Amino acid sequence: MDSASRYISLGKPNRADHLWRYTSWKKVHPTGDIAEMPPLGQPELSLGMMDGSEPPSGIRLEQGIEGDLDFSMDNALTNAFLHASAKSSQWTLVVDKGFAPGKPIILEIRPGDSPSVAHISLDIGEISEIELVTKITGRSEWFGLLRTGQIRNGAIMNDVVLGLQEKGTLLRSDAIAIGRDAQVRAGTVSSGSERTKADLRYIMGDPGGNIRVLGSILSADSMHLDHHIEIHHEAPETFSRLSWHSACGGSSRTIGTGMLTIRKGSKGADAAQIFHNLLLSESAKADSIPELEVMENDVVGCGHGTANGPIDEDQMFYLKARGFDEDSAKSSLIAAFLNSTLSEMGGTELHEWLVSELSLKLEALDT
Amino acid sequence: MAENNDAREAVGEYKAGWHDPENSTIRFDFGLSEEVVREISNLKNEPEWMTEIRVRAFKHFMKRPMPTWGNMSMLEEIDFDNICYFLRSSDSTKNDWDDVPDDIRNTFERLGIPEAEQKWLSGVTAQYESETVYHSIREDLEKQGVIFLDMDSGLREHPEIVKKWFCSVVPFADNKFSALNTAVWSGGSFIYVPEGVHVEMPVQAYFRINAKNMGQFERTLIIADKGSSIHYVEGCTAPTYSTDSLHSAVVELIALPGSHIRYSTIQNWSSNVYNLVTKRGIAHEKAKIEWVDGNIGSKLTMKYPSVILKGEGSHAEVISVAYSGEGQHQDAGAKIHHLASNTTSKILSKSISKNGGRGSYRGMVTVSPKADNCKLNVVCDALILDEGSRSDTYPTMEVANSTARCEHEASVSKVSDEQLFYLMSRGHSEEESLAMIVNGFFEPFTRELPMEYAVELNQLMALEMEGSIG
Repeated sequence: MDSASRYISLGKPNRADHLWRYTSWKKVHPTGDIAEMPPLGQPELSLGMMDGSEPPSGIRLEQGIEGDLDFSMDNALTNAFLHASAKSSQWTLVVDKGFAPGKPIILEIRPGDSPSVAHISLDIGEISEIELVTKITGRSEWFGLLRTGQIRNGAIMNDVVLGLQEKGTLLRSDAIAIGRDAQVRAGTVSSGSERTKADLRYIMGDPGGNIRVLGSILSADSMHLDHHIEIHHEAPETFSRLSWHSACGGSSRTIGTGMLTIRKGSKGADAAQIFHNLLLSESAKADSIPELEVMENDVVGCGHGTANGPIDEDQMFYLKARGFDEDSAKSSLIAAFLNSTLSEMGGTELHEWLVSELSLKLEALDT
Repeated sequence: MAENNDAREAVGEYKAGWHDPENSTIRFDFGLSEEVVREISNLKNEPEWMTEIRVRAFKHFMKRPMPTWGNMSMLEEIDFDNICYFLRSSDSTKNDWDDVPDDIRNTFERLGIPEAEQKWLSGVTAQYESETVYHSIREDLEKQGVIFLDMDSGLREHPEIVKKWFCSVVPFADNKFSALNTAVWSGGSFIYVPEGVHVEMPVQAYFRINAKNMGQFERTLIIADKGSSIHYVEGCTAPTYSTDSLHSAVVELIALPGSHIRYSTIQNWSSNVYNLVTKRGIAHEKAKIEWVDGNIGSKLTMKYPSVILKGEGSHAEVISVAYSGEGQHQDAGAKIHHLASNTTSKILSKSISKNGGRGSYRGMVTVSPKADNCKLNVVCDALILDEGSRSDTYPTMEVANSTARCEHEASVSKVSDEQLFYLMSRGHSEEESLAMIVNGFFEPFTRELPMEYAVELNQLMALEMEGSIG
């Protein structure tokens, strides 16, 4: 069955399912008519270094993807839709075995003004070491991004997706396999788009896989940012940490739902997830559902937590006593809150670049 | 081992798994219809308004689909056509144990209820199948105006109070099983505590299913008037049969300003009972509602004691433990809705899975936009004792007020080798050590129970831990 037929056969998803509880499929479909598969454009993609120079050989974008997609999970609907819609915009990002450029590489995606979609398959070679930032910009009403593929054995990857669209809807789905002993930091920095629905899944099917999933989410005005993160431990000695920080201003709403599964046989698995929400205004709203399913008893530990609250009055007092005015004290604390996950996403150079990209958004935040 | 032998003597195998011959005075045929619903109401000589609610609830039950979450495969196994919806075992409710029919009295004597009543209870109600067979309350409480009746008598003697509050906390359309309960409810407790009265010793209800393929649908309504307090304790057992029974209760608590209701449950149904219960309370200004909830038995339990914090300064606490053994799924949790300012809540959930059992915590906490300065804390801890067992946590937190301080934490782990080693190095066997660790794990719950219940729970857990090692 091709992806388009699969999408049609799956029908309307159930709103009772928490995957669709807060953001319905209809709201993130390009036209709202879910029976329709409208023609969508292609975004522009380019690879480069932070200074705008060409990347070294060892990393490249190749048109087309190989292999079949896994439709066995409940992201099948989104993935089938995005895959089928991206028929003429399918790319494989190839990183050669042992490639280690030593500097971050930027994959810039410019969706243009009309609705567009891309499918990028990651093929990160064994024992490579790479920092990759996927930066999404533009003023498109709708953009869809499907990322699949694998980070192969022993690879070390800092993989950051930076969403800075000025408006519109972002529908994103990741389904990435982590190889044996691979070490991954998967960062999401989101401060664009009026509406985001992201479904991020990481599958550790080989022993020794290690992932840190990090989120720095800044929402303002009437933004609606919904992130669902799944981490599946399917092999022994796998390790994961999920740390998700959302700062919500205006009348925005952020949703963070997590699913951590430890399959039977994943002995020695060590997993934890935490969601922190900072509510900055009276009408902001934050929802968290950190879920756990543990089917193995011989685990190092498995836990989750969530905390919601306003800006700490003591911290405000401390800063004001040292000469900060109300607004600058508040924005410093928001920046510090978001920075605690941002600073984990990569090395110093990448961190400084991310801070500079986000600072304008932070200044414009109306709390 | 000595400790476990004591436990064996005290508890036996599933100690309540025996059954008595069925001596029913009225027994309905299997299956549910509008006629059955009307006939139950007719038998009880209920007022017209109650019959109407029952019929509307029945119609809702019939058209409402089964839940699409939880253990759907187990839920689908319930055969609603193979359940007896009403069975009367005694002509009337007695208030002297000597008047209760011999076989039923023997049942409750074996469960130790009359003895417990004499020792430490303010009142007792004992329900056998569909109706209450014994009921008593201490005279001094009665003189203070405390009403403690079975629900059928409550409706007969105080229809105006029942009409005011019935379905006010759990509407029949709340869920499929609250609709079923409203349609065919029978028995349960009705309690009204007048303003300023404190019921110092707990009152207890004991629920027993004896017949095969039985459905027990008790309905409990507790109203604590301003500044009053009460502690209600319920226990439940059933015989072990090869076919399944259904227990689907609805409990409504109304804590008026400044009052305090504590509702403790030790659910120890046999492993052939579906336990699908809706429990909810409303706390008015500065009132306090506590659910202390122990789930040891049943095949599938789906139970999420809830509190609606409606009044400013009200407080809710839910402390629950669940033990899931072979073939069991304890899907339990808590729900708390902060609707008013300065409300606080605390949820502590502990679960143990063993022999392939599955324990799930499913919870929801919401803070409404108008509820300022709320504080809430949720802690879930789970132990998985062996391979093949499973633990899940499904918490939901929806916060729409920036002044709220909300915390949730959960952990799943195994019994630590260091703890076992420590106890074994002091002369305990591995099995004893494990039982001690498990009892310690449950201690935040057991310390909230009346002493007799706490001792029995510890013995039960020690017994369950037998054969865990090796």
